[in-house]
Amino acid sequence: MNIRTNAELRDRLAAEYVLGTLKGGARRRFEGWLHGDAGLRQLVQEWRARLEPMAQLTPARPPRARVWRNIEARLHLEPPPKRWQLWHRDPLQWWRTLGLTGTAAAMALAIVLAMQRPAQQIDTVAALMDERAQAALLITADHRNGVIAVRVLGDTPVPDERSLQLWAITQQGTPRSLAVLDERGNAQIPLNDRALGSDVALLAVSVEPKGGSPNPNAPTGPVLYKGSWVRML
Amino acid sequence: MPYAQPNDPEQLRTWLLGAARKDAQAFQALYLATSPKLFGFALRILHKHELAEEALQDAFVAIWHAAGRYEATLAAPMTWMTAVVRNKAFDILRRLDAAPDIDVARFEAEVLGNVEDTAQGPAEALQTSSDARALARCLAGLEKPQRQAIGLAFFHDLSHDEVARQLALPLGTVKTWIRRGLMKLKTCLAREAA
Repeated sequence: MNIRTNAELRDRLAAEYVLGTLKGGARRRFEGWLHGDAGLRQLVQEWRARLEPMAQLTPARPPRARVWRNIEARLHLEPPPKRWQLWHRDPLQWWRTLGLTGTAAAMALAIVLAMQRPAQQIDTVAALMDERAQAALLITADHRNGVIAVRVLGDTPVPDERSLQLWAITQQGTPRSLAVLDERGNAQIPLNDRALGSDVALLAVSVEPKGGSPNPNAPTGPVLYKGSWVRML
Repeated sequence: MPYAQPNDPEQLRTWLLGAARKDAQAFQALYLATSPKLFGFALRILHKHELAEEALQDAFVAIWHAAGRYEATLAAPMTWMTAVVRNKAFDILRRLDAAPDIDVARFEAEVLGNVEDTAQGPAEALQTSSDARALARCLAGLEKPQRQAIGLAFFHDLSHDEVARQLALPLGTVKTWIRRGLMKLKTCLAREAA
């Protein structure tokens, strides 16, 4: 059987291979041809795209919670920190669960003092922490120059294909986008009340698709770092 | 609902790429968004909850390890993940080596009934990719025996012989139905994509 020259046969076998009706010796023979025949592999890809969506035509059924726990255990995944989604239900409480510790505030202050240059007047700072209370980002408000500067600390990873986005969370628990950080994890924004106003309870950084959250009013990705302003004056 | 559009392909793609970088949070978000649909599919193939749970676990373990190879496939995220679930479910079927537990009437009601719902686009359609909605419309346009034969083969890993036995029809007839049905689907899907 010359599979290379019979276009109709090639297409039919590719369809039956994907559907699953091609079985046994015929299936193994077909798989042998696939290795050396890019055109045939292309036909199989096309049939996959056509037929595999059939799987989505069954009604959704939520699995029991233990399925995820088993997956986590099999892959040795760290149990994640509290999920960011929780704040939908319990606005401010959750953001507060990871407030600044005294140590962290002191450390932030030390960093700021070490960086203070004569031309700056930094009077308000925030150190954003990860879930292990390690400082990951430092945010400083410089009233003389009217600038809020954001920078990552040390070896805080900045994801390649995504962006970090900074949010102010109000007393009511409403997120307010402040800035999308650049590829090195830095940003400079004009000093303003959206960021520094007295209704701002906390600051948070989420991971978003490249360029920032598609929803201007809320993070879509997980929140990695949180912290609050400390006024130094 | 934590996500307005649980199966938005761009969002799923972002999470899959996250999983490829071993980002456990992205992986969990992916699981939360897709597991009801994927579990429903595994349950359709395996019927028993315990077996469907096993297939779903095996599939997500495989997705975690293979996520790095996902991008090269160019497939829609849901399509790629359902193919993994289908393989894992069929592995379990083969291991059990049991005669397929197929109830054609129930199959018709649950899956093909859902085809019509999905084709018409109410709530269920929101959880279904545009590829699947197009396929549903095209399946709805097939004659019922063609659709049944293709559906049975797809969901139960059946040969032409086995489909013929399930439908109590001659092998030649079933082969012809499947062949014609597939070609009609191809034409219809090309029209949908145009």
